[in-house]
Amino acid sequence: MQTILNETQWNVYQTLLKATDSLSAQELVEKTGIDHPMMAATLMQGEQDGWLTIKEIPREELVPSEDVAALMEQGLPERRVLPLLAEKGKIPMRDLADVAKELDIPIHEIIKFGGPRGWVEKDKGDLAITEAGRAAIDTPDADEKALKFAVEKGSIYLDELANQGIDVERVKMLLNNRNAVAKIKPRTLRLTLITETGRKVLSGDVKVVKERNVLTSDDITSGEWKNIQLRQYDVTLAAEKTAPAKIHPMQKIIQLTRRAFLEMGFSEIVAPQVESAFWDFDALFQPQDHPARDMQDTFYLTRPNEAKLPADDIIERIRQTHENGWTTGSTGWGYKWNIERARQTVLRTHTTASSIRALAQDPNPPRKVFCVGKVFRNEAISYKHLPEFFQVDGIIIDEHASLATLLGTLKEFYRKMGFSKVKFKPSFFPYTEPSAEVFVYMESKQAWIELGGSGVFRPEVTRPFGCNVPVLAWGLGLDRLAMMRYGFKDIRELYWSDLDRIKEVPLCQ
Amino acid sequence: MPVVAVSVKRMNQLLHHEYEMDRLVAALEQLGCDVEDTATQALYRCPACETPNDKLEQEPAPKRCDFCGYERDEPFEQFATDRVIRLDLLADRPDLFDSGGISRALKGYMGLEQGLSDFSVSKGDVQVDVDPIMNNTDTYRPFIVCAVVTMPLLDQDSLREIMRLQENLHWGIGRDRKLASIGVYDMAVIKPPIKYSVVDPDKFKFCPLGMPGVQMTPRQILEDHPKGKAYAHLMAPYKKYPILIDSKQLVLSMPPIINSDETKCKLGSTRLFIDVTGISRDAVVNSLNTLVSALAELGGTMETVTMNYPDGPQATPNLEPRNIDVNYSAARKWLGLPFTRDEFMGYLRKMRLNVQLKSGDDYTVSYPAFRTDIRHEVDIFADLAIGFEYPNIEPKLVPTMTIGVPRPEEEISSLVRDAMIGLGFNEVMSLQLQSLERQFGKYGMEPSNEHVIVENPKTIEQKVVRSHMMTGLMETFHKNRRKAMPQWIFELGNVVIIDPEKETGTSEYRHLAFGIIGPDAGYAEARMVLDSILAELNLTGEYTPATHPAFCDGRLAEVTGPDGLCARIGEIHPRVLNNFGLAYPVAYCELRLKQVI
Repeated sequence: MQTILNETQWNVYQTLLKATDSLSAQELVEKTGIDHPMMAATLMQGEQDGWLTIKEIPREELVPSEDVAALMEQGLPERRVLPLLAEKGKIPMRDLADVAKELDIPIHEIIKFGGPRGWVEKDKGDLAITEAGRAAIDTPDADEKALKFAVEKGSIYLDELANQGIDVERVKMLLNNRNAVAKIKPRTLRLTLITETGRKVLSGDVKVVKERNVLTSDDITSGEWKNIQLRQYDVTLAAEKTAPAKIHPMQKIIQLTRRAFLEMGFSEIVAPQVESAFWDFDALFQPQDHPARDMQDTFYLTRPNEAKLPADDIIERIRQTHENGWTTGSTGWGYKWNIERARQTVLRTHTTASSIRALAQDPNPPRKVFCVGKVFRNEAISYKHLPEFFQVDGIIIDEHASLATLLGTLKEFYRKMGFSKVKFKPSFFPYTEPSAEVFVYMESKQAWIELGGSGVFRPEVTRPFGCNVPVLAWGLGLDRLAMMRYGFKDIRELYWSDLDRIKEVPLCQ
Repeated sequence: MPVVAVSVKRMNQLLHHEYEMDRLVAALEQLGCDVEDTATQALYRCPACETPNDKLEQEPAPKRCDFCGYERDEPFEQFATDRVIRLDLLADRPDLFDSGGISRALKGYMGLEQGLSDFSVSKGDVQVDVDPIMNNTDTYRPFIVCAVVTMPLLDQDSLREIMRLQENLHWGIGRDRKLASIGVYDMAVIKPPIKYSVVDPDKFKFCPLGMPGVQMTPRQILEDHPKGKAYAHLMAPYKKYPILIDSKQLVLSMPPIINSDETKCKLGSTRLFIDVTGISRDAVVNSLNTLVSALAELGGTMETVTMNYPDGPQATPNLEPRNIDVNYSAARKWLGLPFTRDEFMGYLRKMRLNVQLKSGDDYTVSYPAFRTDIRHEVDIFADLAIGFEYPNIEPKLVPTMTIGVPRPEEEISSLVRDAMIGLGFNEVMSLQLQSLERQFGKYGMEPSNEHVIVENPKTIEQKVVRSHMMTGLMETFHKNRRKAMPQWIFELGNVVIIDPEKETGTSEYRHLAFGIIGPDAGYAEARMVLDSILAELNLTGEYTPATHPAFCDGRLAEVTGPDGLCARIGEIHPRVLNNFGLAYPVAYCELRLKQVI
């Protein structure tokens, strides 16, 4: 039977056949010019086939640290103090700090490392030099000799040091806990020997083929591939990590939100971020002295500093609704409404401003609209709060609109967003009655998370615009949802993105 | 927002029941309260006014009294701890600001009591003479309303609750004592008739709360007393200061700053005199009604006080319930809930309202005087829904068919987003509010006339609304400057530009910005990307050389074309790269996709 070998295998086996003794992997690499990973794979394959035996011998490798060459050049701290000690015999411990400072060496190392060497000893309040210490001045210690070899070669095995006549046990004792100088790492020496089976096979009918990682275009078109063996991979090994370019997680929440409402038959609307106080507050029956309108929470603008207001008849209805309820059946707020305050420009504090604009534009049922957009609150930046964030607002103008259909709509929306558990609690807002706060159950947090407010618009909000059916409305925060869903602990991570972190978020999540 | 801490032990005393904390929390939430958390409080007694101060267990012991302002170096002594449910105050529901008011609502919700509470007020004989000068610009604080309430012997709990409720009403109705401020006194030491008048700030002395035995002039109080300093601004416009004083010249208080020490109520007081003064008639009346109604719930009995105004006498408090008509069918339709007439009436009584059939579907609902949140029939509908209990509502969908249509700027953004991701760009997002430095300074640009300016930002980082999108990308590059190069990123977002023609004075545009950073990033690479995006959108643009302080000379083009096509593409100036701490060239492009507003 013919045995097919690739060029690498042939090369390795020929080298082994020629050798008089077993060879280490290192020696094989040096003799064949094949790289280490390839060599390891070839030898492992040979052992599996029973053509090779590999004997494993434990070894210890002395690996010097990066800065050791410089350190050796200067001399180890415990060595540098020796001449002075030899001269004085002993130094009071209290003066040691000055000496160390003078010599620019770490004081604790003198005793920590000089002691075990037997060079210095504490004598009452003094540090004294020993006979061994005096002797050491001109003679390098075992580890110093070892390090010299190791630095020259990059690293050295302890058994090789023994061959050089160095006291290996002393080297280990001195360097075992001195990682700043060198580490002693356990290694395995693998000695390879060809087996009888191997010899038999190799002396039989052997065909050598080329082995490649890839086929060239020429190989494929010329038919040369017939003489080429593709190198076999370990297909179980992990590959390097990569990720496709991606949509931003916050944007994904926005797009999921849009899709959910579009699928539910809502039309998308838009309204300006720079808004008049009229649409942001007055049209929503928020009294002009309401705390939410004060300078604390709202960004007022210097430029533009005034907005145009809608037609006079609308303004008149809003004024009366605030002052005495107009014909809405309400008592109103009972204060004097000021048109100038309605002209003030603000950065919209909620997307409900876009909902009420949409209602004013066309109050006729049935209508379902939604808007996703930035809203602004005058807060300083922290891990929890940003002065701007995304909201989705929606309204339903419908004969059949009611509190029950409001809760049904929101429940359905969150079901589409992947939350099967939704709950509601009563709440109070100036422009809806009744009102409900929405909570979803976040499985990953095992907790209920509040995501926004909703309600049925008060007649004081809808009637001035000629709308006489119930109108359902909600404003739900999206940033918090994105944070929770994608495991961001700090909201700033969304807007000053670590690109790797963004790429880690799986598209399906 | 202030928080009210409801003691579980105290609440069960008021309810005559033993509810678990969880049951109370669930009920409070379903009543519409915002439960912040549950906690353990430690109680400390103020050595001066004796009112217990409460702090969270983990907080240090107080050295200063929250109520009278008394201060000492030694921390006060702790005398008890208490499990509490902490609620954010609901601005529109001052009747739920204290344990008394909350217990009233809970009694209804738990089925312990139904319908209106007893708010009967007996006729009392205490008189207050109101000086005509109070309605004068010298010292404008024209309104005063008062009541006398006799409590069961005041203990620690009720004393603290009264003080807390007073503070909460100052916040919720009084706008921090500006519109209305409340005083509570021990009637036993007061000799009526009481006079509401003014004094000269320098020619009068009394002993303010928290400083027993120290006589101070009103002006000294404003300068030296902690409460005086805190509220001095309310007196600033006035030449003379309001004073409430009895027939023996004993001072009750100097509204709205501080009570006197001699008339303070203390442990063991039973008969309390209460005044509310202010500049808003509604605010003073609502404050008084809410406070005395809460005291009634804690076991108090109320008497009227007669105010002798220049134009005639007026007796307060008036706690006559108010009436509103409510339509049964309209309520069912508004809520979408299938309750019967009996259930309808039951839910209203559960919410501590009374109801009577008027005719047909119309009912007359009576509500307490302090429910100032009720201004329309829908407010009663909301109470009905709470009485029905939200967890019992079966969610439904409106049966009407509608068709959803997306916005054009979102459609084009989706196309562009797909193309950019296909080209290997990662999407990033950034904030629209920026400082002048980040929007202009770092680029060497002069602030233009085209950006929005914020008047009152908390920090300079929110001074302008972005009119270009460079900063978001540059700061993202900075954040990722130690990561593998090159990096390709883009952002789709809005910019706002001043436009006096527009209703709100601004136009808004959807922009695409993309940037490449890396050793080889340059115009050519960015140009390939822009050309391919334009091709995908079926657009052709005309490139003209341009200059801009943020870009390298000779490496910037402006792109124009039909339908308002407008873009800028080039290599960022190394001075700008330095300003953002970047070590590699950046190619940048910003393309206007659509006018949004």
